[in-house]
Amino acid sequence: MSTLFSAIDASASALDVQRARMEVAVSNLANAESTRGADGQPYRRREVVLESVPFDQQIGAAPTATGVKVAAVVEDQAAFRRRYEPSHPDADAEGYVAVPNVDVPEEMVDMLGAARAYQANLMAIGLIRDTIQRALELAK
Amino acid sequence: MAIDGISSNTSGATLPLAKPAGLQGDSSGFGDALRQVLGSVEGSAGAANDAIGRMLDGTGDVHEAVIALQQADTMLQLTVQIRNKLVQAYQDVMRMPV
Amino acid sequence: MGGEVRNDATIMAALGRQMTRAVQRQAVAAGNLANVDTPGYRTKEIQFADALDQELGTSAPAATNSRHFGAGAILAERPDPTDAKGLATRRDGNNVQMDRELLALNRAAADFSAAETVLAAKFRLVRYAINEGR
Repeated sequence: MSTLFSAIDASASALDVQRARMEVAVSNLANAESTRGADGQPYRRREVVLESVPFDQQIGAAPTATGVKVAAVVEDQAAFRRRYEPSHPDADAEGYVAVPNVDVPEEMVDMLGAARAYQANLMAIGLIRDTIQRALELAK
Repeated sequence: MAIDGISSNTSGATLPLAKPAGLQGDSSGFGDALRQVLGSVEGSAGAANDAIGRMLDGTGDVHEAVIALQQADTMLQLTVQIRNKLVQAYQDVMRMPV
Repeated sequence: MGGEVRNDATIMAALGRQMTRAVQRQAVAAGNLANVDTPGYRTKEIQFADALDQELGTSAPAATNSRHFGAGAILAERPDPTDAKGLATRRDGNNVQMDRELLALNRAAADFSAAETVLAAKFRLVRYAINEGR
């Protein structure tokens, strides 16, 4: 794949990935207090596992850029925290509630980081596209 | 002369343009010169097609194809000008009183 | 400044190489930026062997290619990316700095733009000379 177009592909793959990251963070935030889901268990924090997509390049061809993908969306296996809140409907016999393993500040940071990375990759696409256009200018 | 200056740079073809005094019927001088230039034009056109092909199948870059195209275009214009000069020179020669 | 033959062909070849370098830098920076959150990913960069030679005018390839401003002159250098040194690594093993990569992208775009402008002007001049101003 010619260099600049593969660079755009790489940046575009990052847009998908960062959006997935944001969606997961939003879901975690929305469910930070879901102490009882469909299975009766508290909501388990989710996270995306990212993997780079290395270029496979034909000999002598223009190098291609490394992209990224979501390898998996996994549930954080960290234990649920227990909070003393006897008045809670889901409190157990000792008055503790098992609370989702979501740390709200951390999710906010993740979300902001994803938004920033999204913006940066979007900017990259613009710059690369401009370069392609400049190359075409030379044909005029 | 401008054309000589360019020709020595672009393809290595040197052209005996300074002697339309091929009065003795030295037509082989023109023929060889023309052949050389045509060879260069074909070469540059071929290189352009190669570069475009590489761009299309993704093994080459856009700017390479565009530069090759521009060079082919330049070579073509050079050829046209040389042809015009040769024709002009021929006509000049033919006009000369014997 | 160096012993390189300076004529239209070598200058135009050098401009073409500048464009190729800029394009490769953009691809590497884009790849780094895309992987800013990939665990364990190391920032890549490209070292161009002849960049310094260009400044000194001692670049050997330029001389041999002076007759042929063609694909060979441009394709000549496509070195593999290497690991960038001296960048702070975060907890997930990633050392990509977003600002650094964006800066590299911008710089490469500017380099490409400059080379393209000059090369376009060169072509115009050459054609003008060929057509003797007509």
